[in-house]
Amino acid sequence: MTQPKTYIKATSVEHALSLAGESSGSFRYLAGGTDVMVNKFQGNDDAGLLIDISGIDALRQVSATETHLVIGALVCLEELAKHSAVAGNFPVLMEAANSVASPTIRKTATLGGNLLCGNRCSFYNQSAWWREAAGFCLKCSGPLCLASGGKKHCFSKFVSDMAVALISLRAGIEISDLRGVITIPLESIYSGDGINPSLLSNTAIIRAIHIPLHHDFRSVYKKLRKRETLDFTSLTTAISLDKTGMIRIVMGGVHAKPVITDGTGTEDLNSLVSQAVSATRMVDNDTYSRAYRKAMIPVFLDRSFRELQLI
Amino acid sequence: MQQISVTINGRPYQFLAGDHEMLSHLIREKAGLTGTKVGCEQGSCGACTVLLNGKAVLSCITPAMRAHQAEITTIEALAMNGQLHKLQEKFVDKGAIQCGFCTPGMVMTALSLAPELDSEADIPALIHRIKKGLSGNLCRCTGYKKIIEAVSEYVLETAGKNPEIREPALQPATGAVGVPRPYIEAAKKVRGVAEYADDIASKNALHCKFLRSIHPHALIEGIDLTDALGLPGVHAIATGKELPGKFGVLPVSQDETAMAVDKVRYAGEIVAAVAADTEEIADAACRLIKVSFRPIRAFLTIDDSLNDAGESEKIHDTGKFNNNIHKKVELRFGDQRKGLEEADMTAKMSFEFDGLSHGFTEPHAATAYWDENGLTIITATQVPHYLHRALAKVLEVPLSRVRVIKPYLGGGFGGKSDPFPHEIIVAHLARKTGRPVRVRLSREEVFLTNHGRHPSKMTVEMGISAEGIIRVLDADVAIDGGAYGSFGVVTSYYNGVLLQAPYKLDNFGFRTYRVYTNKPQCGAMRGHGAVNPRFAVESLIDDLARRINMDPCTLRMKNFLDSNTLTVGQYRITSNGSSESLEKVMEQSRWRERIGKMEKGRGLGVACGFFISGSALPIIWNELPQSVVHLKVDFDGRVLVTSGASDIGQGSDTMLAIIVSEVLGIAMDNIFVLAADTLLTPVDLGSYSSRVTFMAGNAAKDAAEQLKTEISRAFTKKFNIGAEDLIFSENRVFSHDKTVDCSWMEAVDILTAKRGAVSVSGKYISPKLGGDFKGAGAGLSPSYTFGACISEVEVDEETGYVKVTQVWGAHDCGKALNPLAVEGQLEGSWHMGTGQAISEQMTYSKGLLFNNNFLEYKIPTTLDTPDIHASIIETIDPEGPFGAKEAGEGAIHPVIPAIANAVFNAVGVRITRLPIQAEEILAKMKENRISEAKI
Repeated sequence: MTQPKTYIKATSVEHALSLAGESSGSFRYLAGGTDVMVNKFQGNDDAGLLIDISGIDALRQVSATETHLVIGALVCLEELAKHSAVAGNFPVLMEAANSVASPTIRKTATLGGNLLCGNRCSFYNQSAWWREAAGFCLKCSGPLCLASGGKKHCFSKFVSDMAVALISLRAGIEISDLRGVITIPLESIYSGDGINPSLLSNTAIIRAIHIPLHHDFRSVYKKLRKRETLDFTSLTTAISLDKTGMIRIVMGGVHAKPVITDGTGTEDLNSLVSQAVSATRMVDNDTYSRAYRKAMIPVFLDRSFRELQLI
Repeated sequence: MQQISVTINGRPYQFLAGDHEMLSHLIREKAGLTGTKVGCEQGSCGACTVLLNGKAVLSCITPAMRAHQAEITTIEALAMNGQLHKLQEKFVDKGAIQCGFCTPGMVMTALSLAPELDSEADIPALIHRIKKGLSGNLCRCTGYKKIIEAVSEYVLETAGKNPEIREPALQPATGAVGVPRPYIEAAKKVRGVAEYADDIASKNALHCKFLRSIHPHALIEGIDLTDALGLPGVHAIATGKELPGKFGVLPVSQDETAMAVDKVRYAGEIVAAVAADTEEIADAACRLIKVSFRPIRAFLTIDDSLNDAGESEKIHDTGKFNNNIHKKVELRFGDQRKGLEEADMTAKMSFEFDGLSHGFTEPHAATAYWDENGLTIITATQVPHYLHRALAKVLEVPLSRVRVIKPYLGGGFGGKSDPFPHEIIVAHLARKTGRPVRVRLSREEVFLTNHGRHPSKMTVEMGISAEGIIRVLDADVAIDGGAYGSFGVVTSYYNGVLLQAPYKLDNFGFRTYRVYTNKPQCGAMRGHGAVNPRFAVESLIDDLARRINMDPCTLRMKNFLDSNTLTVGQYRITSNGSSESLEKVMEQSRWRERIGKMEKGRGLGVACGFFISGSALPIIWNELPQSVVHLKVDFDGRVLVTSGASDIGQGSDTMLAIIVSEVLGIAMDNIFVLAADTLLTPVDLGSYSSRVTFMAGNAAKDAAEQLKTEISRAFTKKFNIGAEDLIFSENRVFSHDKTVDCSWMEAVDILTAKRGAVSVSGKYISPKLGGDFKGAGAGLSPSYTFGACISEVEVDEETGYVKVTQVWGAHDCGKALNPLAVEGQLEGSWHMGTGQAISEQMTYSKGLLFNNNFLEYKIPTTLDTPDIHASIIETIDPEGPFGAKEAGEGAIHPVIPAIANAVFNAVGVRITRLPIQAEEILAKMKENRISEAKI
């Protein structure tokens, strides 16, 4: 039998952690909830306890230290895109934030929520009826991946556009869980496993994102989708070039985790592109074909290089 | 459950809210504020937008618990003391409201957007900013143009500026006909108080949910209801065997049952239905029903179904042959072989089209109850009359015991023009339980119900002379009907017969196969049956014109049929605005100056179209008129118009009022329209085949003229004056010399003296038309409409992405009774056509629809919709009411091939598959480069 449906509003991170720690059944933190509530509607999330953390003001600040810009995890994407410190230092984040979902969703959806937005697949993001009719894929406890025609590996796509942009900026993520607070590179929380894409402990709460200042990043961001709004990504690329000439290419929508390719602006860019392409792991589980998405990677990257005047 | 305190629209409430309940549910079901609409349940359409502490949120994905100690503002709060908010006024005045279902969410989003807009920005910048801000709100009716106009004018006026957003207004006219005006119910819709099917509360109603098949083709070996019936709160469960009577909108395709009886024919077909105290209980009960299915071979593609079924069981056991062909139609005129021989240049191409959803924003919903008068059902339907008949048939009750009421309706486009299983089932469950039973379909269920545009494949051949005269046209078409018949027999004909205009053809023929497949059934969708073959023909013309080095507009101009002529298949063409339409869009797009001179990657494309203004033959053959309208006038001077015509957002109620107002010379506010209630209103066949303005309009005109005659008679008796001397105008009835001069109220007193209320009945019966051959009736219409589009595109040559930037369209609607409404229909058609061209498709995996929601079924948003420039062409049809013809469907035909032809013009790629795929453009560009290199 499913557990009772409950909802508690947490007043602080500590409160939320203790609620999570005491929970005997499944629970879910709710930030904006724009992803979670849709997953609940489709039956992909059956957590009984919703711990609403959206009211924790401490996680809604934007501040700067000597070395980093610190953006609270509960800053909503609209605010983030409008914040002068973000726009001034990292316009790429503004662009990424404005490419997520729709304007109304961005008023509610948070930065932290976007970083943990569920991996997506056309065989998974479906109603319970649909998934049963299709024969339950690997990600919903079935025996095989349907998208790949029967592999024992989940190819659900990583779709956080904010993560792609942030990782290109070498952002760190500050996390609280029952063990304490740590700050680690953002990319290190992503497992690459489509079924459990996050390595965070289940009680962990994202507190903030730390973005290093003074790198004089120049960045280019691109997103492939059918419509100019609303749609999840079919391919997101962000390239950031720092003042020392180091290039970081990050891609979303092409693997169960963000794909990172590091290099320098002076090396053979074609080989960087090939490296990036070969690091992807895609199947046909998107509105665009796998072949097309793959073919668009060099196009997006070349355009980005041109915009960065690297070629 | 938790107790929460919420302030909604300034009023404090205490609710017992579910811990996982959605805010939209709380607002609609507990606070009873049904102005907030639910269109997609997944935050993808914006209809449910409300303000939470002043911030716009999507209430369908916002937990109700978040409203605790918060302030909610819904659409109902905007109008104060009976005065609309300025923004609401703008929506009304600009004609930004059609079906009205997206309106509340659109207004709330715009309201929260407005303070962020810079009224100092130049107009294009402001408009772009508005488009961005509204890009999460889908509208299927308007093409967004009038919405954007409304918001920008509101912003500018609020900032004290004189807005001049609109393109030059249409010429003003006197009288009621020809005056641009908002719908008579627009204020009601913009205030959020117009009630749609799911908004109407029925006391004590049970909720219905369906168990649907998970197999595309399977035998039902057993259904065990024991556990489900044992669930507290469950009142009744119905299965297919209880309702074995077959139905279908066409008498020749009575092939559907309300629920699957012995086998299921598509994944999603209803197998059982539960009526319970709440939706949740009904849903839980559905999950407890155990069905033993034995899957059998599914036929999923056109080719599967055209071929011999072998040992496998066919989808339906009808038909002489061992295949799944539902209908084969073939007609030939002239001598096609000779035509081919005579042609100097021929082209033959094959095309493929995916299926499409109507994408109306209001999901199907219905409530049924029984009382001493029999059954009443309040439902979102385009065809109350055919539903009336189907209910009587399947439920085995006399026609006199069925009442169908259509409330306000959130868009149809053909998708609500069949009798539906869910309507029959709730009627049945209401009878079984003795309680009202309501149902609302989820968006996924709407997609499963389908009845959308048929996926099609066709090969079309055309030949022309060196001078550009069309010598021959041949089309070989296969359409994928899905599991049941629906309108499919008509669709099969329309795929061929509607090619016989707007161009003169002597040698023309076609063959269409409609097949059954194990997928949700297809039916009628805007432009019914003719959209895809029109695309093929307009693409071929483009190709042939290029090959004989002739401008494609010139070639079309040379081939247009005349006015007052017959087509090769004996359609009677009366008014014909083809050349005026084409001339208009050429001028507006500066075609002559620009074509052939654009940089690579940008292009212009042209196409024309034609459609029926209502089918001259009724679906069910009988001698009833196609439409009857009653007028009643009583002591209060108000004229009551009753009509069975279904206003589905296209403005037919307003159209009826305009006609009556024009004939009687009285103000619109003296007229009250009561429509689409089969107990109270006389039969109209429904809102399909773009028939309502022509047919119900003529019936209304007939009725109004009869009322005028009645008044004239009373006047001649009283004043000793000839009826021909009387003028009805400006709320007065007077003689030429003004010796008799009465106000409308005085005239009504004279009319009703010693007689009381006067009722008259007007009708429309189509003239006898058509040739003497089998199939001659298909596509016959008392009048036809014509039009042309030119579109401009930008193609990204590296990604293949197509951006449609402009659409110039012209449509010959005979006479625009309400130019604002006509423009709205045209803009909506071109928006919908853009969707079919660039992004919309229904994709299946093994009979399961992948994109069954508004996130993955890609209706163009404000940002994806081109700038649309609508021109109305008036040719004054001799038989249309005041010269009017249809405007709701015909306009969609030319826009899609115009876009594809513009892609060819931009990058040399001929589009033969819709929607246009970026991938295919790249592949074909590569092929072109290789073949150029070889040369």
